[in-house]
Amino acid sequence: MLLGSLFIMEGTMNKRGQEEIVGFALIIIIVAVALLFLFSFYIKGNDGESAESYEVGSFVQSALYYTTDCEDFLGNFSVQELISECKAEERCSDGRNSCEILDQTLRDISGSSWQFGSDRPVSGYVLNVSVDGLELVGIQEGIHEGNFRNALQSISSRGDSIEVSFRVYFK
Amino acid sequence: MVDTRGQMKIQQMAFMLIAVTLLFVFVGIFFLKIILSDLNQSAEGLEEKNALLTVARLADSPEFSCGSSFGTSRSNCVDFDKVMSLSEIPERYSNFWGVEGISIQRIYPSVEGICTTGNYPDCGEINLFSDEGVGVSNFISLCRKSEQEEVCDVARITVYYGGDYE
Repeated sequence: MLLGSLFIMEGTMNKRGQEEIVGFALIIIIVAVALLFLFSFYIKGNDGESAESYEVGSFVQSALYYTTDCEDFLGNFSVQELISECKAEERCSDGRNSCEILDQTLRDISGSSWQFGSDRPVSGYVLNVSVDGLELVGIQEGIHEGNFRNALQSISSRGDSIEVSFRVYFK
Repeated sequence: MVDTRGQMKIQQMAFMLIAVTLLFVFVGIFFLKIILSDLNQSAEGLEEKNALLTVARLADSPEFSCGSSFGTSRSNCVDFDKVMSLSEIPERYSNFWGVEGISIQRIYPSVEGICTTGNYPDCGEINLFSDEGVGVSNFISLCRKSEQEEVCDVARITVYYGGDYE
């Protein structure tokens, strides 16, 4: 009788011990999951950060006013006017393709203004020009990773809705 | 047997305390990082915006701006002819804007040489007053009249403040 009750007591104690171990393991798992969750947030937080930049906006604005060497009988076109000429598939008075001049001019302006490389803070840039949703120019130079600053300008010229977006990536 | 169970319980408690402490420490670091990063970003953003707005305000002042000389009124547009005239009488304006110096560099097309009345407009840089101190710069359109036609280039205006600006 006494021996029987001792066996029952030991069995109850073993069961309680197992429950405690299971509870402990559960708490460890919950804490580990919570830590993993926090770490994933931390890593995501270090990804590319963007910011609307007044400087980049000023660059886009001054690039649009630049006077190109493409002209008609009224005079030289600005980049803004050349975008409309390109959309209308017009040619310069000397026969050159307006879209080629536009592309080359924007490449040269961006390259001179945002020089990138291993010894410079800028790592690359992306320039897109679209008219009424149709992409006319797409320029991508350098590495497009890390923090970036961008600017989007929407203008109306000669009845066309022009959108110019410029994004500069920094190290 | 009882001693072993007691030790086990103490171990459990110790592990739990360590785990809970670690959890709170990580949560604290996480939120602290977010708060500090936000503060730094807003401070840097405000500083940059303030400096650039000062430069933009200066570029849009009547002594520099294109006004309506080139058709429509433009923002961030500097009249090259006005700046050249201004560079000939720097002593009259040296204290007018409360800055150490102003300089304009033509970026595209890139041209070498300091502007003088002899080489204008085939020059790349104009310095008004001084080019020493802490410089804040922004992009502008540098426009001029050439044979009744307007010509605008891409340039950078740099405003120099005293060394204690930052």
